[in-house]
Amino acid sequence: MDKVRAMFRAVTRPIDGFYEIRYRGKGSVALAVLAAVLFSACYTANRIFASFVVNDVDPRSVNGLLEMSGIFVMLALFAAGNWSVTCLLDGEGRLRDIVTATGYALLPMAAATILAMFVSQFIASGEEVFYTLILAVGVAWTAMLLLAGIMTAHNYTLLKTLVTLALTVLAMFALVFFALLLANMARQVYVFFYSIYIELIFRV
Amino acid sequence: MAAVFMIISQTALADAAPYQSYTYDYRENVVLTPAPYLPEAIINGASLGVTPLNQPRDIAVSGDGRLYIADSGNNRIVVTDAGMSRAETIITGFDNNGFADKLSAPTGVALSDDGELYIADSKNRRIVALGADGRTLVKVFENPEHEALPADFVFTPLRVAVDYAGRVYVIAQNMFQGIMVFEPDGAFTGFFGTINVTVTLWQRFWRAIASKEERANARLFVPTEFTGLDVDPYGFVYASNMDPQGVKAARRLNPKGEDVAIAGVSGNLGGDIGVEVEGPYAGVSRIVDVAYQGRGIYSLLDSQRGRIFTYDREGDLLYIFGGLGGQAGTFRSPTAIEYMDGGDGSRLLALDYARGDITVFQPTEYGALINEAVGLRFDGDETLAVSKWREALRLNENLELANVGIGKAYLASGDNRNAMRYLKLGMSRQYYSVAFRRYRNEILKANLGGILTAAVSLAVIMVIVRAVLRRRGGQRVEPEAGLMDDG
Repeated sequence: MDKVRAMFRAVTRPIDGFYEIRYRGKGSVALAVLAAVLFSACYTANRIFASFVVNDVDPRSVNGLLEMSGIFVMLALFAAGNWSVTCLLDGEGRLRDIVTATGYALLPMAAATILAMFVSQFIASGEEVFYTLILAVGVAWTAMLLLAGIMTAHNYTLLKTLVTLALTVLAMFALVFFALLLANMARQVYVFFYSIYIELIFRV
Repeated sequence: MAAVFMIISQTALADAAPYQSYTYDYRENVVLTPAPYLPEAIINGASLGVTPLNQPRDIAVSGDGRLYIADSGNNRIVVTDAGMSRAETIITGFDNNGFADKLSAPTGVALSDDGELYIADSKNRRIVALGADGRTLVKVFENPEHEALPADFVFTPLRVAVDYAGRVYVIAQNMFQGIMVFEPDGAFTGFFGTINVTVTLWQRFWRAIASKEERANARLFVPTEFTGLDVDPYGFVYASNMDPQGVKAARRLNPKGEDVAIAGVSGNLGGDIGVEVEGPYAGVSRIVDVAYQGRGIYSLLDSQRGRIFTYDREGDLLYIFGGLGGQAGTFRSPTAIEYMDGGDGSRLLALDYARGDITVFQPTEYGALINEAVGLRFDGDETLAVSKWREALRLNENLELANVGIGKAYLASGDNRNAMRYLKLGMSRQYYSVAFRRYRNEILKANLGGILTAAVSLAVIMVIVRAVLRRRGGQRVEPEAGLMDDG
């Protein structure tokens, strides 16, 4: 319960909140994962249920589980990318701190998508700006939380945080590249052993 | 002839369409539909009692049901009787002021309102206007002179059309500047409906970095040529052209030559959407002719896949049918289409250039319902259109047009809730929003008292609760409230 309270404190007062999470052990990876699940569910709900006036998504094309796995892959990539970059640039944060900060940061966006979904039920064309405004506020808040969370976790200055975040994006691309390379090579190794196996059965 | 039509339509031809009929929905998915038109009869040289047609290029239909065929390879115009069953007259020449003149490779025919016959006499490089009897010469349009024409210009007319005022519109070979317009007195006055070339940024970039030799070898950016013409009773010219992008193949030109065609929600007036890049069915539609049906409806003929696309005045795609093949109702190389208003409804005639025959298509119940409903909307009678749309919806549940039509009628009658339902099914965001706004106002008006009372009482309760809490000494009841007090 204390940790849940710390989570909401981090969302509303990020600098103090993330400090407590980082240095007084009030963070929880489980809660962060739950926040990510919540965000993914809200995102999917928004895509399906937002009113026809603002929503051009074909509801038949929405697959919640697929979207959730996509979001989780992105989050995992971000966490791994950020961790690898900050390890080299004397960041003090552990992987669990990064995961916690990222997960908690998604809460305002989850709230914004759901709120926007409800608001969309009451607007006609020409009033879409209310819908977009709510979403924009959610995104801005999430970006701010992410910045504050990462900054606090690593005990960085603002400039250094921004630089590492930019490097994180590059690291994410590198990770994807290596993952593909690894998969391809693993396949080749598998094919190699498989052909040996085939050779053996034909000869023995 | 009517008897023949009936017998044929009840036996082989009408059993099953030899092609698939479809349309595109809001999300550009192919939606199969019932056939809007079915082949009814085939007209060729044998059925008309003349030698086989040789590379016919164009057809025209008179108000009383006579068919005029520009039988280009035989240098003649075949004119049938009013039922299109036998050839009545064959025009190979005319009396040119006492001199027996001949036609040479006529490629286009058109009829004026008073029955004069306009022939694009291509190899003789002129347009010949004959009287209603098909013998007496009325006018000859030749040797156009204009400052915009190059000195060595050779006038080779391909297609011709004439409006109610006797103005003659001509598509000429290698004429990229537009449709040539001749006044009724025979003077060439200029070009019409010029298609502007659009060069994309990407093409500009490649051109900029190309060497001089490469640039010389590159394809020239010339506008596409017009392919077909038709004139509606209001004097607007419908013109088709081949669009390499497959987006804009039809134009509706006002008397000033400005394009006033409206594209529907998809923004597409170019035939098939999302065509493949490779394979036997690849490539954008090659629109070779346009025909005006009436009440704002017009059809485009695609020679690439032998399909006929029909649009209404608002640019909404109504239906698509036809295909390439060997069965009756399919084509080998379709080249011209024309509508005819028979006694029992409209007929669509499609000329096949390679096979030298004309397929007569008859609207099915489904096609006739759509034509009628769209026509009623064109006339401004939306309430009467609704019953037609309902019947069409019974034949094809996925018909977005019908849903929109019904939705609009509900909107007009003030039933906003039903209007919202149908307009959403029809994917008409614009009208849905109008219906929604009215519905919302309705609810607000009905419940304004209740809503205001609730809001005021809620505010009062909150003030009281807050006051009570503060009197108790500002205890922290909720973390959020506490945080606010901190600042």
